[in-house]
Amino acid sequence: MAANNQNEKDDALLQAYFEKMEKPATWSGIPTNPFYSPADAGGFDYARDLGDPGRFPYARGVHADMYRGRMWTRREVCGFGSARDTNGRMRFQISQGVSGLSVIDDNNGSLTIDADHPLAVAEAGLQGVSVSSLRDMEDLFDGIPIDKVSVSFDLSGLDCIVWMAMYAAIARKRRIDLGELRGTIQNDTLHFQFCGYGASCPVELGIKSSVDIIEFCTRNMPRWYTGNANLYDMRENGLDASQEVAFGLSLASAYIEKAVERGLNVDDIAPRRAFYCSSHVDFFEEIAKLRAARRMWAKLMRDRFGAKDPKSLQFRFGVHTAGVSLYPQQPLNNAIRIAYEALAAVLAGAQSIHTCSYDEPIGLPTEVSQSLAIRTQQIIAYETGAARVADPLGGSWYIESLTNQIEKRALEIMAEIEKRGGMVAAIKSGWILSEIESAALRRQTEIENGEKIVVGVNAFRSERDASTPGGVHEVPAGQGEAIAASVRELKRSRDQRHVADALLRLHETARAGERANLLPALIDASNAYATLGEMMGTVRMAFGHPYDPMGVLEPPRL
Amino acid sequence: MIRKPKILLAKVGLDGHDRGVKVVAKLLQTAGMEVVYLGIHQTSEAIVEAAMQEDVDVVGLSSLGGAHLQYAEKILGLMRERGLESVPVVLGGTLPVEDIPKLESAGIRAVFPAGTAGSEFTEIIRELAASRGEAL
Repeated sequence: MAANNQNEKDDALLQAYFEKMEKPATWSGIPTNPFYSPADAGGFDYARDLGDPGRFPYARGVHADMYRGRMWTRREVCGFGSARDTNGRMRFQISQGVSGLSVIDDNNGSLTIDADHPLAVAEAGLQGVSVSSLRDMEDLFDGIPIDKVSVSFDLSGLDCIVWMAMYAAIARKRRIDLGELRGTIQNDTLHFQFCGYGASCPVELGIKSSVDIIEFCTRNMPRWYTGNANLYDMRENGLDASQEVAFGLSLASAYIEKAVERGLNVDDIAPRRAFYCSSHVDFFEEIAKLRAARRMWAKLMRDRFGAKDPKSLQFRFGVHTAGVSLYPQQPLNNAIRIAYEALAAVLAGAQSIHTCSYDEPIGLPTEVSQSLAIRTQQIIAYETGAARVADPLGGSWYIESLTNQIEKRALEIMAEIEKRGGMVAAIKSGWILSEIESAALRRQTEIENGEKIVVGVNAFRSERDASTPGGVHEVPAGQGEAIAASVRELKRSRDQRHVADALLRLHETARAGERANLLPALIDASNAYATLGEMMGTVRMAFGHPYDPMGVLEPPRL
Repeated sequence: MIRKPKILLAKVGLDGHDRGVKVVAKLLQTAGMEVVYLGIHQTSEAIVEAAMQEDVDVVGLSSLGGAHLQYAEKILGLMRERGLESVPVVLGGTLPVEDIPKLESAGIRAVFPAGTAGSEFTEIIRELAASRGEAL
């Protein structure tokens, strides 16, 4: 028996030594050759197909001097517990050397219900920060110089427009000109339709609120990015690289179209649009994907929307390293995956990067895991030299060939979407969701049958870990109850007449038609300490939807 | 004829991450089980009611929001109240390994963290469903 075991071990060693790469295709299934030569790169014309960095079609980057002009923004998505808890973590991040902030709200926020909603109490402060009113927002940004720091709001439902209003209300209280505010709001309400939150965000109302934000910020907040199409969440669901680009550019086009319909000029809005992309684990494919997206967006904006301003043609993007590529098994392996994904983002010329923490598939990040995520970016920025030169892989026959192939595949998918009546129609018909769901199943099947190797998961497994290195984020007992109690207290102690008047004015504005921008009335209502749930409930009713998206609460009598 | 194992799957609470549970549903169906997927935003009461009405062999909960302990305890309590303690409850999703013993001692019969192979959870769920049949 012992001898047999020994023989098996020896055979395994021999097999490992002679092991060959079995499936030489990319993560997305693009076949690859053993090597690439000039013939594979498609005989490209440098000026036409690539251009110098900072020149049309921007395949090589949106800035001529790239990171010499400005380093990418290093920020870490942050949000848990009460606004005070998250404020503490953001201050910690600043102490660790981040160069921007990024906030995410909890499920209640995404659904626009308050923390004291009967279904919300258990959820308050999970998966994001609990913000029900301007009072929470004041706590969230307490002591943080919002006129100096760039803040990204990682939210996409009807909560976006309320957060925008509250942030503007804080700026006004601090006597900061709105024009000084720098940051981004994701504001991609359409993508909520296929990310599990669709019911809370009716398509047409979502688009209306997104366009309101675009319009308001274009007029009042010239340094603010009015939306970044969320390619990341779609990719996380299993789409491949070409689908990510195709769905993402179609999504982004939908907002440009709707804003132009509102009467805005494409060159007034497009320079403040951005993208939120994944950087997945297949290194070269991700770099090629982002280069392809840049070239495609430039042509699309020029040819389809007639944009003239060079800034309108530039695909500016933030990267979120791929959470879905991370596993709870052997959690420290994730730190290595994250580092490669972040390196790919830098080599592809990202404007902003969020590196996941290695405990992403386990819980919310701890200070330990989040510090390592920040340090990962700093090591890439200051030690590896990766940031020194723009598009350092440009001209590689392999990279150019992959870039061309992803572009070609993505253009075909976009043509399919157009055939289905465009992105909004393709979402409403359920086609996008069905593409996403079949992709998700395909990814799992690839892992099940060993087609894709994941170290520590379907290969090189070890005994189940007994604990998570660095500890885990603990949710304090009674967190939800305490947060809910503070919302109830606010609702008792504020000036009720003031709240009712502000909500009535908001209702009137919302009844005044598609073009009546909700933001000024939302800013007033925020100032009166009307809550997220009350404000969006009022708007929802004015548009013929139930007051409470969860179907529990009755509208208040004003 | 032996009836197919019947599994109830649900996402409890407000977490909307439903990619995983939908994939699980497909894999269980492919393995020959009957799956009732209740969808997102289910209350604990609705899940227990459905387990009763549908007469399922196993209840599978998906949680990626961090509230797995509180919801597990609540659902197991409600199931005891309704006399459903013989129906095994399993749970999968995003959670720390530290919580697995806590969930198990609360009465969750199997815990499947992200990355668990389909072949593994399918087998365990099949066995749990069969053992329930014997208990009856």
